[in-house]
Amino acid sequence: MNTTLDIVESFKIAWAAIIANKARGALTTLGIIIGIVAVTTTMTAFNGMQSSFSQAAGAIGVDVVYVSRMPWIVMNDFFDFRNRPNLNISEAQQLEKAFEGRAIVNPSIDTRRDLRFHSRTMEGVSIIGTTEKMPIITNRMPEYGRFLMEFDVRYKKNAAIIGYEVAEDLFGSVNPLNKEINIGRYTFRVAGVMEEQGGNTLGGPNFDRQVFIPISTFIKSFGGRRFMDVDIAVKASAISTLDDLEYEVIGEMRKIRKLRPTEPENFSINKLDSLLGAFNSIVGAVLGIGLLVTSIALFVGGIGVMNIMFVSVTERTREIGIRKAIGAKRRSILMQFLFESATICLLGGLIGILISAGLAAAINASGMMPASLSPGIMLASIIVSVVVGVFAGLVPAFKGARLDPIDALRYE
Amino acid sequence: MSNSYHRNAVLALRDVVKTYEMGAEKVHALSGVSLDINRNEYVAIMGPSGSGKSTLMNIIGCLDIPTSGSYSLDGEMVANKSEGELAEIRNRMIGFVFQTFNLIPRADIFHNVELPLVYGGIPKAERRQRTEEAIEQVGLADRMKHKPNELSGGQRQRVAIARALVFNPSIILADEPTGNLDTKTGEEIMGMFDDLHAAGQTIILVTHEDNIARHANRAIHLRDGKIERDVVTSGDAAAA
Ligand SMILES: Nc1ncnc2c1ncn2[C@@H]1O[C@H](COP(=O)(O)OP(=O)(O)OP(=O)(O)O)[C@@H](O)[C@H]1O
Ligand SMILES: [Mg+2]
Repeated sequence: MNTTLDIVESFKIAWAAIIANKARGALTTLGIIIGIVAVTTTMTAFNGMQSSFSQAAGAIGVDVVYVSRMPWIVMNDFFDFRNRPNLNISEAQQLEKAFEGRAIVNPSIDTRRDLRFHSRTMEGVSIIGTTEKMPIITNRMPEYGRFLMEFDVRYKKNAAIIGYEVAEDLFGSVNPLNKEINIGRYTFRVAGVMEEQGGNTLGGPNFDRQVFIPISTFIKSFGGRRFMDVDIAVKASAISTLDDLEYEVIGEMRKIRKLRPTEPENFSINKLDSLLGAFNSIVGAVLGIGLLVTSIALFVGGIGVMNIMFVSVTERTREIGIRKAIGAKRRSILMQFLFESATICLLGGLIGILISAGLAAAINASGMMPASLSPGIMLASIIVSVVVGVFAGLVPAFKGARLDPIDALRYE
Repeated sequence: MSNSYHRNAVLALRDVVKTYEMGAEKVHALSGVSLDINRNEYVAIMGPSGSGKSTLMNIIGCLDIPTSGSYSLDGEMVANKSEGELAEIRNRMIGFVFQTFNLIPRADIFHNVELPLVYGGIPKAERRQRTEEAIEQVGLADRMKHKPNELSGGQRQRVAIARALVFNPSIILADEPTGNLDTKTGEEIMGMFDDLHAAGQTIILVTHEDNIARHANRAIHLRDGKIERDVVTSGDAAAA
């Protein structure tokens, strides 16, 4: 018996059966639709988080240790850290001296200010006071113009390197280089525009909405006592491992802060690893919930489809008898019903994919995170829904295929 | 029965018994039927209700197998065949016509008639040609795209005949083919069987009615699961 013929015919028969029962089919597919939306949304969220994380990871640097007042991830012991002293610029300078020739030490401070260029304004843009060493830490370079230079920092120049989105929003088609902009009450001259970083990351900073200025100028212009909390990035140049670097940074900081051996540290060491743990637990939770919802929805949907298929087999008992009398084998009847349930689920899956594509577009537009339905996810959804359909159809299809032709023909 | 039957026999039953077990009780639907039917015979199976006519038809049609006894069709023993093999025999060698037409309601006429060829794995182009020929033969060429419920009873039975013919079977089995039709339409359908017989087809039909049986050349009367009488008739209704 020719198998391709069988498949084409089975598909035609399945399609006709589904068309004949539109409302029933549509209702049954609801569970499948929800399941597929859940699975695609989960996978899309997972992909989005991964790309957000790797973007953030690039900016943080895998081989960089940060000294800050607070840990990046504060769980519930916030009050333990609250009374810690700020890190100040002189501590940063002492740390730099201690690591001279062995590591790059780069301090930075940040705040938010409004920007203005002629009549155009941007509100609450992240202003980062830092040094010419910043690109060594973050691997981010200007697309054109230049980054801060040593003399900008030494002479407290009003030089600004603006992020990609800042350039777009504030200048449009105007070339920003050497134009004067207002940062809060102060006037700065644009010296460079950073490469595009790709917009928002999941709840994290938007690297394209930043302005870099010399840290010295920052302190002079915006440096009230409240804003004097410096972050110090340390990147090893002659220290072999990150653990060694961390160990040495802690030692030097304890010396600078004159902590006695019994005293706990009153500063925190942060690095990519400390985010990774948090990231993994968030991703784990999202995946876990997503998969749970998915499997429940698909299970319930599958049971629904199985029920419908039982009804379908019973309703068509006589038809099965006719088909068998004129030569259908068990396999043909089995295929007929498996195709039908797979087609019902495939339809649900396709509708689910459409809904998910809409959701992804909405998430993308909302700016929460980059989201798009990858071909891989779509293919996976199609496979999942067909597999659910085949499994849901298995028992009813076997029931139909095993019917005795005489009994089936006599069925009223 | 003379020996000439054997040589030309399209089917042969020997001591066929069919017993149904209803709990503790046994129902002997057929209790020892021996029968030869030759190629191009036109046979009416008659008998009172419950005498075993449908049971015999089911066995001849390979829808069922005897409890004991042997059955050979076109020289092949049917006993001990697998379900799949029986399906193949039904597909290629037997054309069924039922009292209740038994068309697939959702499928159009073309597809209904085409179906045996589909299960027989015939390529599409050939299927199409043979299906159209069969439908033309029963005079329904203009109804190919109609659904069964858009046709009259007589037309439906003609579709069933086209379906029975389409794979060029060794025998056509009809279980009370006119039972659901009025007399005039029944005669039309019987005329169709007469034509098929004239063209060389072997036909076995079950009927209660003498008028219908008169179309056949041989009448086998069953009673209580046994052959009571097996007579050659004139077939005068067919000639008329
Ligand atoms: N599946 C079955 N289970 C039990 N008994 C059966 C079964 N099929 C048929 N019988 C019995 O076998 C006997 C013969 O039945 P069959 O259907 O062959 O009669 P029939 O001659 O076709 O009758 P009718 O003219 O009413 O169609 C009857 O007594 C019937 O009750
Ligand atoms: Mg009967």
